[in-house]
Amino acid sequence: MLHVVQSAARPASDAVLRSMFAARKSVFVDLLKWDVPVLDGRYEIDQFDDVHATYLILAEPDGTHLGSARLLPTTRPHILDSFYAGLCDDAPPRDADTFEITRFCLDRRLTACERRQVRDTLVTALADHALATGIATYSAIAEMGWFQQILAFGWRCMPLGLPRIIDGTMLAALRIEITPETPSLLESGRATAAALRVDRRVAA
Amino acid sequence: MGMHSMATQFMRVVEAAANADDLTAAMAAVTEQLGFQYFALTHHVDIVAASGSAIRLHNYPVRWADYYDRNALGVSDPVHRASHMTSLGFPWSRMSEMIPMTREDHRVLALGRDQGIGDGFTVPAHVPGEARGSCSFANEAGRPMPVEMLPLAQLAGMFAFEGARRLWAMRGGLQMPPRPVLTDRQRDCVLWVARGKSDWEISHILGVGEETVARHIKQACERYGVNKRTYLVILTLFDGTLTFSDIFRRRYYPFPE
Repeated sequence: MLHVVQSAARPASDAVLRSMFAARKSVFVDLLKWDVPVLDGRYEIDQFDDVHATYLILAEPDGTHLGSARLLPTTRPHILDSFYAGLCDDAPPRDADTFEITRFCLDRRLTACERRQVRDTLVTALADHALATGIATYSAIAEMGWFQQILAFGWRCMPLGLPRIIDGTMLAALRIEITPETPSLLESGRATAAALRVDRRVAA
Repeated sequence: MGMHSMATQFMRVVEAAANADDLTAAMAAVTEQLGFQYFALTHHVDIVAASGSAIRLHNYPVRWADYYDRNALGVSDPVHRASHMTSLGFPWSRMSEMIPMTREDHRVLALGRDQGIGDGFTVPAHVPGEARGSCSFANEAGRPMPVEMLPLAQLAGMFAFEGARRLWAMRGGLQMPPRPVLTDRQRDCVLWVARGKSDWEISHILGVGEETVARHIKQACERYGVNKRTYLVILTLFDGTLTFSDIFRRRYYPFPE
């Protein structure tokens, strides 16, 4: 089930949000060792988790988190312009129809196959949400391994500048174009992945 | 290269490449702008064994390519092994810091130098669930590594690999031979063969001549490129032209009740 949560509606979807913040702590703090604030020892919540953030959350019917992403308006302070402006050759993109994708999070409890499904569903949901709400561009920051996966989704990506090594990790900023063509590009991306997949398992 | 021309180049590499020649041309141009002479885009599998299903695109001199193929280096090449340790591009001269180099590795690299292969820069590419791969840029021995261009080479390598992925997935689809399709009458005949009937029995069941049945089955065999009926039945079951339930579950009632 996809939840699109605007912070104004927060009380109604409290369980879904709590489950997401806990999953983010598990992924970004426990697994990836990011140096980001943790609330109450359980929830990863930073200064951008405010009333301006929008969340796309895939969850079980009981609210259990499967995958999520946070969208920040680029007309307000966001991660690229606040911390990583150096990753952009020109000024970081800043427009009413441009949102930054942050905290793309797949639940650690998922199997490899489930992860792929949740990931693809979440990416499709990002494109659909953009088309439904008039977002024309997403910006994002990615570590190199993740960057290759983002390209492989099939949508149109452009680098915003040269990659740089920051705190031992090579990061790059990119721009993702969303047009009415994007859903079919994503579909081609999934077909490409299906054609090249080598770890197909025989169903037991 | 300025930001705009760089982005345009990458888009061209990924999108405008309708075939391997286009991609080779776009990559050759990017490679030169990066200060290298040669590139190699490849999946890390035994290229000879994989015969066409794995990505392999390069403009290496023939003697380099021969050397790689002859030594089946796709799998064991220290450059490829090192690229499994990181998602960051690395100069080949730094490999010994990344992986333990065996005597055989040193021999392989020395052989490469004998062929005139100089220093290179390899960008690892890994999409989960798929064969690992990389994009390498290389120079002849004696030419300096264009150090200031390496961050750009990192990006170029990632976009190039993505372009190759899309192209190869398409090629895979095109390489599938067209599936044989039977006429309805041919299928009927094959179905009765599968149920163990002779041509004479089939001719009575279908109300046609025995020679006609034999001809339908012969033509069906030809469409599948086989000369034995048993094999024809197996292949039609395999590709879904027939199903087991066709053969076993349905009963034939010649006289409607």
